[in-house]
Amino acid sequence: MSAAQATTPLLAVRGVRAAYGKIEALKGVDVEINAGEIVALIGANGAGKSTLMMTIFGRPRARAGTIEYDGHDITGVPTHEIARLRIAQSPEGRRIFPRMSVAENLQMGADATECTEAEREAGLDRVFALFPRLKERVAQRGGTLSGGEQQMLAIGRALMSRPRLLMLDEPSLGLAPLIARQIFDAIRTLNRQDGLTVLIVEQNANHALKLAHRGYVMVNGLITLAGTGAELLQRPEIRAAYLEGGRRG
Amino acid sequence: MSATSARPSHAAQPSGGAFILKKALISALVALVLFSLMIGVRTEAGPQGGLIYWTRFGDLAALVATVFGGSIIVELLRQWWGPIDKDSLVPKPVQSAMSFAGRWLAPALLVFAFLVPVIFYDQRYILDLSILVLTYVMLGWGLNVVVGLAGLLDLGYVAFYAVGAYSYALLATNFGLSFWVCLPLAGILAAFWGVLLGFPVLRLRGDYLAIVTLAFGEIIRLVIINWQSLTGGPNGVSGIPRPTMFGIPLDNSDSGLAARLGIEFSPTHRLVFLFYLILAMALLTNWVTIRLRRLPIGRAWEALREDEVACRALGINTTTTKLTAFATGAMFGGFAGAFFATRQGFISPESFTFQESALVLAIVVLGGMGSQLGVALAALTMIGGFELFRGLDQYRMLVFGIAMVLLMIWRPRGLIGHRAPTVFLERNQAISSDLVKEGHG
Repeated sequence: MSAAQATTPLLAVRGVRAAYGKIEALKGVDVEINAGEIVALIGANGAGKSTLMMTIFGRPRARAGTIEYDGHDITGVPTHEIARLRIAQSPEGRRIFPRMSVAENLQMGADATECTEAEREAGLDRVFALFPRLKERVAQRGGTLSGGEQQMLAIGRALMSRPRLLMLDEPSLGLAPLIARQIFDAIRTLNRQDGLTVLIVEQNANHALKLAHRGYVMVNGLITLAGTGAELLQRPEIRAAYLEGGRRG
Repeated sequence: MSATSARPSHAAQPSGGAFILKKALISALVALVLFSLMIGVRTEAGPQGGLIYWTRFGDLAALVATVFGGSIIVELLRQWWGPIDKDSLVPKPVQSAMSFAGRWLAPALLVFAFLVPVIFYDQRYILDLSILVLTYVMLGWGLNVVVGLAGLLDLGYVAFYAVGAYSYALLATNFGLSFWVCLPLAGILAAFWGVLLGFPVLRLRGDYLAIVTLAFGEIIRLVIINWQSLTGGPNGVSGIPRPTMFGIPLDNSDSGLAARLGIEFSPTHRLVFLFYLILAMALLTNWVTIRLRRLPIGRAWEALREDEVACRALGINTTTTKLTAFATGAMFGGFAGAFFATRQGFISPESFTFQESALVLAIVVLGGMGSQLGVALAALTMIGGFELFRGLDQYRMLVFGIAMVLLMIWRPRGLIGHRAPTVFLERNQAISSDLVKEGHG
């Protein structure tokens, strides 16, 4: 399932460094995502996974290196314009709008890109087909949803901008295993049916690597390992660090 | 409001006489400890400079008894109203009555507002008061854009009111421009100052933003006081021209409206005109706000209030979103200021103190942040209530303080805390959001 190396990747991160004040969170990161792939980014707390995702979105800005999307350099493009290039992200902790209704939350996703009424309808149908629960609760306030439903809403909201690249930050955070599996299934469906390219940042390495075509392991702001999902799952150091980590204390 | 009284009492809440007595006793004990030094012992510097003191145990006992009794009453009231922190289900008949009232309250108020000059034509006092109330309704609706929708706490809103008032006053007295020319200019100038305030505070939120806006309000006032050559300093600007009805003055001259219509002149004509003018301006504010809420920019304001990080993730330009909120709110403040100047005929920095900002903010918060009807009701209650209790004189503030505390206990989201959604899908309405509690699973 490894994509051909000759084609240009949809997203190419090359030697990117980023910092919060004096603390360097990314120390020269190289990541490539090909169109139609699911790529998982795994690593411990504070490894810089979320920072990488946010740096791709222009906040914090990369201090060195380049980020190329679809052949264009987007390293210096303002955050709100990056969203118009049809890159969508579902931020860590879901961050839905609690006092706004489910319908309004979804509409907020569509507002970012100028879309026609028909496209909006098609987007809604797609989200409701993927997460029927949201359709039942469309008039409810976002804050009244359960955690899993809120995660569905966050992904649905990101999908409303009709992205080519969807970036998900810890979609299984704080969810019951069954609900987490539903979310992962939905991501797989999106990838298989629509060919959506997905970058998924996860702590749940087992799930994420089984889902992903390829994976990257991040430690202290650097990519230490890369390979297909199945390969990474077999690596003893991965098993020790992320899959059986709890047992070693 | 009446819906809460019909709630079924909650079984989980501890009730019973012993519980109430215990709670009241604890409150009384706390009061005794607190007041024993504050009230029980009175100290003063004696004639020789030494400290003399005497005890006031009678007052102390009375206060503690009041606290004891008050605690029992509050507890009984609380059990009668039902638990306040839970959204319990409202019975069907009450619910339909509420929705009926909710649907007809706003139109009824609007019709009444149009009829006020007809009903109270002879009562100058009531007309004056209605104009004042409507001015605050407009200010409340203007600030509602910034505070209620965009969630940017602005403690210096009076600055834009002042900018609008001085814009009209100075343009009219120095250049002889008419009210109708100055009105948009006042709005534009206020919006300009709104953007100017917006830039430095873009990164701030919450408390920090409040402090900077508070300072901004004071800066504008101090500039007005000290820039004597332009603004007349503390003496203010007088002789501000009255508004004309599209060029026709409302006075007893030969070219005045009364003479042209061939009716007898009465000063009430101008009052009625001013009333309809501010009513039209307030309704314009309301209409623009309602329209904006349904556009992407209005939704972006509300989303910004909810979660700024999520807004950025969705590609919303938070800079322009905040600046447009500041500019829009400020513009309406500027309009209201120009109206204030033309109504008074005289303005001075004393009219633009922090107290005004606080009053308008209180109207917005009491009304229910973001609710247009709530803000109008709150302005009516606050300004009208101030006048009603004028007889109580020095107790007026006390009464209002208590009323506000009670309101915030029973309706923490303001008079109308319900937020009407702006996006509807035709194929829905499974469960109303009012009937569901917030979850954090």
